Amino acid sequence: MTPNPSSSAAPVTLTQEVVVQNRYGIHARPAALLVKTATQFACEIMLEKNGVKVNAKSIMGLLTLEGNHGAKMKIHATGADAAAAVAALVELFARKFHED
Amino acid sequence: MWRVANSPRITVADFFAAGRAPLQLVWEANPEAAVGRIITEVALNRPGLALAGFRRYFANRRLQVFGLAEMAYLGSLPPEERSQRLRALGRVPALVMSRGRRLPAYAREVVEHLKIPVMRTQLVTGHFMNNATVLLQNMTSPRIRVAGTMVEINGVGVLLEGEPGIGKSEIALALIERGHSLVSDDTTVLMRDSTGTIQGSAVEITRHHMEIRGLGIIHVPSLFGIASMRNERRLDLIICMRKAENVGGDIDRTGLETASRNVLGVEIPLITVPVAPGRDLTNVVEVAALNQRMKQMGRDAARELDEKLKVALARKD
Repeated sequence: MTPNPSSSAAPVTLTQEVVVQNRYGIHARPAALLVKTATQFACEIMLEKNGVKVNAKSIMGLLTLEGNHGAKMKIHATGADAAAAVAALVELFARKFHED
Repeated sequence: MWRVANSPRITVADFFAAGRAPLQLVWEANPEAAVGRIITEVALNRPGLALAGFRRYFANRRLQVFGLAEMAYLGSLPPEERSQRLRALGRVPALVMSRGRRLPAYAREVVEHLKIPVMRTQLVTGHFMNNATVLLQNMTSPRIRVAGTMVEINGVGVLLEGEPGIGKSEIALALIERGHSLVSDDTTVLMRDSTGTIQGSAVEITRHHMEIRGLGIIHVPSLFGIASMRNERRLDLIICMRKAENVGGDIDRTGLETASRNVLGVEIPLITVPVAPGRDLTNVVEVAALNQRMKQMGRDAARELDEKLKVALARKD
């Protein structure tokens, strides 16, 4: 969903690019960690790879992305706490999901 | 509305990967030329007429199938003309040799010079043409990936959607325990096939798996048997689960209003079901599927009762 700039009530979507940096990519454990982090926020969070978007609060959804090492992804967050959510997820990617 | 779809562009390498097992394909020459080679016209052609010299309507952007007739015809020509006729076809996307036939030396020279990938199949030409046409159509049909769990309930394909945590997978699990089957958990690929029907399936990598809060990831056929899974199912109904407090008053209580959603150009019936603590949604979903089946068979309970009421009330005037 694209934000509508003409209406002040429309929620704004924050988008941030990230790269999968851990060796084994987004397998079950990193997916669970992403979901655990994402569900701490009320905003809607989507993760996108090659034009395919999935809900970052769903483990199975994240697994279908097949986020291999080096894959470029986009985080999209919409809602009141979007900025904090993006920051938390970016940090997870940067810390290689506490792996390696 | 779900209609983002673009038909995917497919390469010769994609076709080979998808057709390797079902079409019994193996490489005969130049597999490296298949990577990134887009099949611009997704269909098959038998190049008999073009080989004979009539090239005006030659479908040179399609896959070219060489059967018994093509090879026998080339073989009947004087040796010096064979490679010339083959070269005149130009740089077609790829060749397929049927009945396991190998490339003769003159033909190998031509395809190596033009860098045309060549595969061969053990199938007879007619059989290959039929199966490859269906495969190509399925590979290029418009598709989208949506958030939702898909189940089959007594032959009715139902997509359950709603925000994460609302209980889609739990309902699917309860339905499996009642003998229904799972198509996909959480993420579903919807495709419009060549007959204009929407088909749902799982994403290959997570197929057969579900995530249940508190349990983690489970393998459905290991626990419930192979009959608990369907690889593909026609989409008949979308059930949108929403928290009762978000639905408010705008919900149809009669079943007379029919909502639908446009999925890749096809209208699919849509029901919104409020989720409240203590409500047995498995039953509701199961009955919704049965009711949908009855509607497809031409019976609409809500409308029939309404007609009966109108007649009864008219008598009282």
